[in-house]
Amino acid sequence: MTGPLRRSHFHTWIVLAVALTTLLVAALSARKATTPVNPEWSWERLR
Amino acid sequence: MSVQYTAIGWNRQKKIYDTALAGGVVAYVAAFTGAGAIVHPNATIETLLIRGFGTLAFLLLHVILCIGPLCRLNRRFLPLLYNRRHLGVAMFLCALVHGVFSLVQFHALGDVNPLVSLFSSNTRFATVAHFPFQSLGFLALVILFLMAATSHDFWLHQLSPRVWKRLHMLVYVAYALLVAHVSLGALQSETSPLLAGLLLAGAATVVTLHLVAGRRERKADAPSAAIAADGFVEVCDFDSIPENRAKVVTLGEERVAVFRHNGKVSALSNVCRHQNGPLGEGRIIDGCVTCPWHGYQYDPETGMSPPPFTDQVPTYRTRISGNKVLVHPAPQGAQ
Repeated sequence: MTGPLRRSHFHTWIVLAVALTTLLVAALSARKATTPVNPEWSWERLR
Repeated sequence: MSVQYTAIGWNRQKKIYDTALAGGVVAYVAAFTGAGAIVHPNATIETLLIRGFGTLAFLLLHVILCIGPLCRLNRRFLPLLYNRRHLGVAMFLCALVHGVFSLVQFHALGDVNPLVSLFSSNTRFATVAHFPFQSLGFLALVILFLMAATSHDFWLHQLSPRVWKRLHMLVYVAYALLVAHVSLGALQSETSPLLAGLLLAGAATVVTLHLVAGRRERKADAPSAAIAADGFVEVCDFDSIPENRAKVVTLGEERVAVFRHNGKVSALSNVCRHQNGPLGEGRIIDGCVTCPWHGYQYDPETGMSPPPFTDQVPTYRTRISGNKVLVHPAPQGAQ
């Protein structure tokens, strides 16, 4: 009765393991150094 | 169902659980905004609240996703399962605060509807570093809303446990969307290794726990062999079943809980009528098999819930031959 549900869970996590790893690697690779911090400047002061 | 069970029983344990949960949420947000104000003195209170509620919701989602496999791997974690729904609703409310504050802060000050602005202000779908990550968070919030709104036994009975379970498996889609939301959003602007490290550790923990628990379940699904001439299947030794406890065996595609009580054995479906909980991991209390998840009860001989409840699980014929327990794989009673 619950066998198909258990199999769905397991297969979903196999797919997620691959997908999330790919996503995190891509996101970390795309990361660039942000603009150097200027302590005199903050956009929030413009509010 | 148990005689003591009510759909929402504000018993002492639930009140303590919910009070501790509410206190934890307040303490976390207060600590986060307090520390944030010191580390980032230029940050507005809105920014700190957006970050505080966002990180808290994401943290709670990790805890929620770990509870299921932890309970499969070790029974000591079962108490965490008891009130997981309240944790889920609390997580949704934190995510909702994060979403509403973000929508107001970043999309409500122009002349375009904030929801239209959310999906139209950034359309750089072809990039990773500038991907419109906010729309991913919005989609995840819609899924979490559906789950929180149906997180009640009323909807469980209306939709049936099978459909309800399928609906709530959408949490995995929401989790993937939120990992993408954080990876393509905060992680692109927050260059300290702390956030990246926490994100990787969280995802690795959740995925590993689910895969290990899932692998163990697959092994448990291997069917028992040794079918006797009269159709009975030898499943285990009588001595191997503790008194008032069960041994779970697989007959065909079904898991069957074989309970030992008062020198006898009784076999019934391992699947609770409430949320498909594992009856074989429960024990016999007051003469009834009691589900370890939420306390639903069944007579071990008939599979019937004690009056006035009318739930019933299938039972199986049993036989003891010497020290061997045999079960006939054809279910009887409710299907």
